[in-house]
Amino acid sequence: MKKVYKNSAVRLKNYILPIIVIFITALFCSPLANTQNYHIVSYILLFVVSILATVFGTGPVLLAASLSALVWNYFFIPPHYTFHIDKTEDILMFGMFFLIALVNGVLTTRVRRQEKLAREREERTNILFQLTKELSRSNGIDQVLAVTLQNISNHFATDYFIILQDGQGSLNKYGSLPDKKTLTGDEYNIARWVFKNLKKAGKFSDSLPQTDYTFYLLKGTRLNPGVIAIKQEEFFVEGEELFWDTYTAQISNALEREFLGVLAQKASFLDESDRFYKTLFNSISHEFRIPVATIMGASDTLLSSPNAVNIREALYDEIFKASLRLNRLIENLLNMSRLESGHISVRLDWCDINDLVNKVISDLKNELASFNLKVNIQEDMPLIKIDFGLMEQVLYNLLFNSCEYAPDFSEIRMDVLYVSGEMLIYVSDNGPGFPEHTLQDVFKKFFRVERSKVGGLGLGLSIVKGFVEAHKGSVMVENRNSGGARFTIRIPSADPEFKKLQFED
Amino acid sequence: MKDLDTILIIDDELQIRRLLQITLTANGYNTIHSVNGKDGLIDAATQHPSLIILDLGLPDIDGHELLKKLREWYFKPIIVLSVRNLEEDIITALDNGANDYLTKPFRSGELLARIRVAIRSSEKNEEVTLVKAGSFSIDFADHIVRKNEEILKLTSTEFSLLSLFARNQGRVLTHQYILKEIWGYGYIEQTQYLRVFVAQLRKKIEDNPSKPVFIITESGIGYRFGE
Repeated sequence: MKKVYKNSAVRLKNYILPIIVIFITALFCSPLANTQNYHIVSYILLFVVSILATVFGTGPVLLAASLSALVWNYFFIPPHYTFHIDKTEDILMFGMFFLIALVNGVLTTRVRRQEKLAREREERTNILFQLTKELSRSNGIDQVLAVTLQNISNHFATDYFIILQDGQGSLNKYGSLPDKKTLTGDEYNIARWVFKNLKKAGKFSDSLPQTDYTFYLLKGTRLNPGVIAIKQEEFFVEGEELFWDTYTAQISNALEREFLGVLAQKASFLDESDRFYKTLFNSISHEFRIPVATIMGASDTLLSSPNAVNIREALYDEIFKASLRLNRLIENLLNMSRLESGHISVRLDWCDINDLVNKVISDLKNELASFNLKVNIQEDMPLIKIDFGLMEQVLYNLLFNSCEYAPDFSEIRMDVLYVSGEMLIYVSDNGPGFPEHTLQDVFKKFFRVERSKVGGLGLGLSIVKGFVEAHKGSVMVENRNSGGARFTIRIPSADPEFKKLQFED
Repeated sequence: MKDLDTILIIDDELQIRRLLQITLTANGYNTIHSVNGKDGLIDAATQHPSLIILDLGLPDIDGHELLKKLREWYFKPIIVLSVRNLEEDIITALDNGANDYLTKPFRSGELLARIRVAIRSSEKNEEVTLVKAGSFSIDFADHIVRKNEEILKLTSTEFSLLSLFARNQGRVLTHQYILKEIWGYGYIEQTQYLRVFVAQLRKKIEDNPSKPVFIITESGIGYRFGE
């Protein structure tokens, strides 16, 4: 099927050159023609034929061998200028010469061809190796394409283009075209045909040959990345097309890898947002249902059993607690949505940290009642520039968390320091801490420690992180060696300049 | 016997109005209700309420606007009761003349306390010369502050600050308002002065400065002088 196409000018040159060389050699040897040393000429000619064999193909070498035999016979073997040979030994000599020239020429050519093939194989292996290496290092469709385009123009034609599919199984009209190249309608149609029929087309092929390009499918295992078209004067010679197929297979693989990567990413993104909403709705409805159930149940009991005076107080208390819990949920959701919308405005103002800490402790006095709270604020703590309301929420959430998880009557510590332009707040408890593998997820939205007995939406700590970062600060968590969690908050704040002012009026 | 104080509730939420009515009636107040701003203005003018409880999220008029309009001629206490809990809203309401601000959800006990404080202070017409609060007293005429019968040494700024608080007992004073009153307009942004003086003052007058009962912090808003 393969149509080998050769340039006739090149072919002719390959035959003419050996003829000229043989005649020049003969001319050069002409002084020996009338001597007894005409045998030497045969050795010289043999030598020249061998040399020619290293440069030219089988045909020219055969021609050179025959020609040199005839030339030797005609000009050098007596009687001169005839093909007639007098002496029997000369006939033998002529026959031997002819044979040796032939064998010599053919053998050398074969060795040379094998050597050439080996060299080509090595070169191709090298090209493939380079390509594979570069492709494996490239990331993203654009980079793969850039590497491919560079590589093809180095090793194949300079006129080629790639049309990629759009990721949904149809061919993109614009693809990756070299500068100044626009796709004609025909070319686009051929590309589409190739993509659809999974066969090569165009020039040097059976299908749609009315174009300058040969179109090959970039074939993948799960999806076909696209079509590559290459423009060549002559078609691939033996072995080259096989190499080209291997070569484009590498490119297809790399492109397919990128396509699949993009698809997988999309899928996982969808999956993640899907999961996110599921978690959101599940936990919201669950978290809201409990206090609502409490309020409904308790108030129903109060309404339907007016005489149960002894339990009335307890039910009122339950209703009140449930409403506080609902309120906390709403606050957290609102804060989260403030953070998510990115519209959080930080109103920085000089604040007395003692005041901040005291406010939080007094807000949490009921929760903290059953703990041993130790607060230690550096003696000469300067005023710190923060948003009081946001930081109050931060400390509230951290302390509230500790109260929820730490065992009753255990110690909860809060230490506040000011060190070189930074306020450091440590909150540590003697609760269970966090499982090591979850430490990096603690601040993620809706993160909950598995099988935790404590309820909640898992928003508290992500709000802490959001608010602290709104102050250009940072928060981290670690497990203490002695058990329990320790949170570290860092808030940058310049030392207030008015510290030097006198405040004794 | 003194007539019951009448409280005007301007709120479009039926459930809140009902809750307020039950709570307030049970605590000895008369209530009247308006479901929007327009009715609220008319009721305030015709019914002469002793106090108005105002919701900021009304269907017809923006609460802040209504507050400004009321304050043009209504000089009795107005307590804002709103779901808006942003500091900006609270400060704006206080600046526009609200006596107090409570966010929904609120505790009834808290609301009743604020109402009591507001009505009582609005009834005090004569210049106060002596304020007693818990274990200490302030004699404005003689510039003397006593705690447990001992005279406290206060700087003049501390005394001015304490006087300002004491004269507005139970009422939230914004940072800006205090700074303007004590230091003057040019110092309205200098919160740091206020922070330092409040800390100093607490050390002198509070039994336990880390659990203040007199100068109470209102997060991001200002201070309230406790009773």
